[in-house]
Amino acid sequence: MRVFCVIPAYNEAKTIADVISQVKPLVDEVVVVDDNSQDNTLTLAKEAGATALHHPINRGQGAALQTGNAYALEHSADIIVHFDADGQFLSQEIADVVQPIKDQKAEIVFGSRFLEKKTNLPWSKKHLIMPLARLINKLFFGINLTDPQSGFRAMTKDVARQIKIENDGMAHCNEILIKSFKNKYRIQEVPITVIYHEFGQKFSGGFRIIKDLIYKKIIK
Amino acid sequence: MIQQAVALLIIAFFLVRLFQQKKKQQISKNEFTFWLIFWLLAGLAIGFIKTIDQVVAQLGFSGSGINFLFYLAVMILFYFLFKMRLKIVKLEKNITDLTREMSLRK
Repeated sequence: MRVFCVIPAYNEAKTIADVISQVKPLVDEVVVVDDNSQDNTLTLAKEAGATALHHPINRGQGAALQTGNAYALEHSADIIVHFDADGQFLSQEIADVVQPIKDQKAEIVFGSRFLEKKTNLPWSKKHLIMPLARLINKLFFGINLTDPQSGFRAMTKDVARQIKIENDGMAHCNEILIKSFKNKYRIQEVPITVIYHEFGQKFSGGFRIIKDLIYKKIIK
Repeated sequence: MIQQAVALLIIAFFLVRLFQQKKKQQISKNEFTFWLIFWLLAGLAIGFIKTIDQVVAQLGFSGSGINFLFYLAVMILFYFLFKMRLKIVKLEKNITDLTREMSLRK
């Protein structure tokens, strides 16, 4: 099974080379989608041996992931892994995320920061933002997963073909969850470790996600 | 009376600008027609504000005609704002599709 790892990157010159060198031995192809970085992320990604795609205009993480998916599908990927460029995920856990698909136990697998493994999540994120996001997902979309905003996931080529990510910004996390539940895919969560270098998505970002989801719903 | 005159002067100013834009071909024929009708109706509403007062009172509203026009204007503005936002979202989608196409075809 050909496993492609899609890494969206925006101004990640500090970490991108290390991330690629760690991920490369574990998958068949690493696809970095440079979202018009202002630093030399693109050059470093090429030098590190990844397939580097370049967005001539900054379009957001969701847009970059969809570009990566489109590339992977065009190049006969069987499984597509979404991974972050900032070094907060552990590359060795790619195997854990991919395994349920290889075993044909799941069609899409989400990494969760709230299962067995320990993640140094900021207090407000753990006790305020994430419970609220979980509640919104459960009430409005019927989604019952432990991690509502995980960016570490793996999916089969068929799922990637059907889930066309339409939210260019951070709302893509919710969009993928919503579509996975709507299409009744076999879903599994696996524990992952996240190393926080900075806070990440803020409370205001949550509101932006809700607003983006509503607009997308209206213009459909 | 003075307020009505000021409002009509403002409308006249926008009408002059509208004709200037049309002359310089800065706006399309449809756009020109729309704004021309809009400003003429606004002028009529200001001119017949007393009649509107009576109509509003007959409809059972306690406010005056000018209040009614104001509420209507706010509602129309919100509608246009919303329409514009939707148009921007669609444009953004097209930009993303183009960007993706360019990055994949390189």
